[in-house]
Amino acid sequence: MATKEELLEKLKNGVVEYEEDPVREAAQQALDEGYDPLEMIMDGLAAGMEVVGDLYDRNEYFVPEILMCADAMYVGLNILRPHVPKMQEGGLNAQVVIGSVQGDVHDIGKNLVKMMFDVAGWEVYDLGRDVPLEKFVEEQMRTDSEVVAMSAMMTTTMLGMKKVIQMIKEKNPNVAIMLGGAPVTQDVAKLFGADGYAESAGNAVSEGIKMISRLRQMQK
Amino acid sequence: MSELSARERVERVFRREPVDTMPFFSGMGMVLRPAIKELGYKFPQIHRDPVKLARAAILSSKMFGFDSVVVPFDMTCESQAIGNTISLYEDSEDTLYPTIPEKMWKSMDDVTIPSDIADRWPISLIYEAIQIVKKEAPEYPVGAWQLGPFTQAGQVLELDILLKGIFKQKAKVEATMDKLSDMCIAIGQKLQAAGADYITLREMGTGTDLISPRTWKDVIQPRMRRIFAAWKSPKILHICGATNLIIEMMNDCGADAISVDIKNSLAESRQKLGQNALIFGNFDVFALPCKEETTVEQAVEAIKTNIDGGVDAVWPGCDLWPDIKEANMKAIVETARTYGKKPSPAVGRL
Repeated sequence: MATKEELLEKLKNGVVEYEEDPVREAAQQALDEGYDPLEMIMDGLAAGMEVVGDLYDRNEYFVPEILMCADAMYVGLNILRPHVPKMQEGGLNAQVVIGSVQGDVHDIGKNLVKMMFDVAGWEVYDLGRDVPLEKFVEEQMRTDSEVVAMSAMMTTTMLGMKKVIQMIKEKNPNVAIMLGGAPVTQDVAKLFGADGYAESAGNAVSEGIKMISRLRQMQK
Repeated sequence: MSELSARERVERVFRREPVDTMPFFSGMGMVLRPAIKELGYKFPQIHRDPVKLARAAILSSKMFGFDSVVVPFDMTCESQAIGNTISLYEDSEDTLYPTIPEKMWKSMDDVTIPSDIADRWPISLIYEAIQIVKKEAPEYPVGAWQLGPFTQAGQVLELDILLKGIFKQKAKVEATMDKLSDMCIAIGQKLQAAGADYITLREMGTGTDLISPRTWKDVIQPRMRRIFAAWKSPKILHICGATNLIIEMMNDCGADAISVDIKNSLAESRQKLGQNALIFGNFDVFALPCKEETTVEQAVEAIKTNIDGGVDAVWPGCDLWPDIKEANMKAIVETARTYGKKPSPAVGRL
């Protein structure tokens, strides 16, 4: 029988070293031995992704490494997540609509951000890529999601985000909008009227949580 | 001091011979809405009609005083010629470039380049467009471009297959890159034979915000060298995003000039490459000519900073976004002319 710390370490290292088999074994062992699956996700898998984010910031890891780390992380998440009681999921019970805007078929960055929401236990409505602008509005209204996250990899598609923000805010000013993607800067996000800006996948979720807190305070 | 024609100015810059003033030109798309509108075209129509392609490019350059005409504008010709369906967004009023919604090749094993790829439509219409520009606007040098093999791989395959493959299936990645390099060489040679006066290799997706310098050296640089060795001069290597860590390798691939975008620190690049290297770039194609809030004065100051940074040509960091503010665009070109009268690091003045 492994200790909790040993399993957390195995999950974390498996993610960082992009080794899927140790992650699979540790996740299953954690369930078999009755450890809290949410703790395994947050302090094992998510902690590993935090290290990966640091390695990326230090130019030690690049996108190929991150994609492989993400694969390893999902191996563990797919085993552990079904065993997390609904009420326990981070206590947020939050929902996000996410997609790459029309004209943009790049989705690597969007998928990494989606992964961070998955880890944090959000309900994610992934519209995919090349998403017609109206679709973001429709999906937000259908799901009553608190956050809409949009990605654009090209300057030529970035302007579509501004239209979506206007359309959503007209219908529901309380929805928080998060933007990301190579050409998007803090300055652009502010100009477009967005509530958050994710410079990297790593800070997307913390930005999202901050935005939800702000909205709840505003509603009090 | 006599004023040079656009053609003379650009040709002399590539030979590092003195010019009258800083050229404004690009190796990437420079088609602008005001020109499209004046011609009565719709944006989605101009990509697959050689006459509209050529005339939209020519008028964009004439209206704003650019020093070259560049074709094509979109990045899907090769993928469509291979057999993929593309989206032209014909019903949209927005500026949306063609994309490839679904790629028919699902793995690197599927990659088979047709032997007649360089002659296939719609690639062939670019050759026609070049010939139209040569005939209708002979005073301009014509720029053409090809995506590099890694970037092109993202147009024919899902890019994450290639990115993960760098570690897990390196031999397959190398073989895929070689096949796409052969295609790039063949099409580039045809572009030059059709009359392109200079050619840009756009290996855009290989900045160090995506892949490591080590991967660039192992996987990208050998292909860059092979492609440039097969093309005539003048030829330019362009990479978007973070490039300071690989700028010396970029300059060691056989290109005549290096093109970078706004994320590159020009001062650092100049220090590493020395005064004789031709560096083109790197103004922000959204912030300066397009952003609603950017004043003409701010755009002018930014171009002065660009020139002071040590570029040898004021050159957009990427495709010019078509929906420019006319006053800003004109001021940008005018500033290149007036503020660029002093010599640049690699090119003197008459």
